[in-house]
Amino acid sequence: MSARDTSAEVATLVRQTLALSETEPIETQQLFFYDLGFTSMDLLDLLFRIEQHFQIEIPEGTIYRLARSDLAEAEFAEDAVLTEAGRQRLMTLLYDTPAELFPARIHATTLPRFCTVGAITRLVDHKLAEKHV
Amino acid sequence: MFELMRSIRIDAEHGRASGLASIPADHPLFADHFPGRSLLPGSLILELAAQVAGPLAEEFVKTQLEIERWAILGMVRDARFLQPVFLPVSLEITAAISRSQSSSINANVMVTVNGERVMQAELVMMMLESSTEWADAIEARNARLARWKEAS
Repeated sequence: MSARDTSAEVATLVRQTLALSETEPIETQQLFFYDLGFTSMDLLDLLFRIEQHFQIEIPEGTIYRLARSDLAEAEFAEDAVLTEAGRQRLMTLLYDTPAELFPARIHATTLPRFCTVGAITRLVDHKLAEKHV
Repeated sequence: MFELMRSIRIDAEHGRASGLASIPADHPLFADHFPGRSLLPGSLILELAAQVAGPLAEEFVKTQLEIERWAILGMVRDARFLQPVFLPVSLEITAAISRSQSSSINANVMVTVNGERVMQAELVMMMLESSTEWADAIEARNARLARWKEAS
């Protein structure tokens, strides 16, 4: 499946989640919480739709694990708050989110809030690639 | 509306539960729904299903994930009301966990009347950590659940 197809399919699922018309434009650079008015329940609903549609699993903490990558847990976060190194890792992963949106103190449970539609599309592509290995 | 549940049986190991609810025709809540033909509102069928799915989710995270959380109904997905439910009625409710995370549990619920399916849905129970303000509610929940389990 091409990245372009995934992007269009994710956009359709976003529209369904928000009950938007099929002609409503959804852009990859849009932020779920800031631009699209998502709530945490909307994001959960979208993830369920994505899992069902693409037949993949996106378990809790996926953004956290992808951002942390090979960094030791203690270097990535302390008391569930990202360290500066952890914050930099998150910003690298979510490179299309404007840097000024990342506060100095980021709680580990809030990472999906910084995702763009493009970031979630990349995550889907990543999971699809894993699935086909 | 906890008073409508009669019994519950929970198999946390396998992520399943079943419960019985009994709703009389003369309950004042249904006096105008509808006069002369009491019909159980769909929202209440969902609530009764959540009263089975909630304790299941709580016991599941406690035994399988080893954390203590309290379930609040967060989302209803793919609900189908397949037949009208006239009163009085006894509902058989089953719940089976389909997805589990520390912050949310999905359960497929099914409600039947005399073996006929009347409602099915996927409930997403949000699993919250308790605080001191919850002490009375948790105590009442524990007493209620013990009563329902004893009746099963």
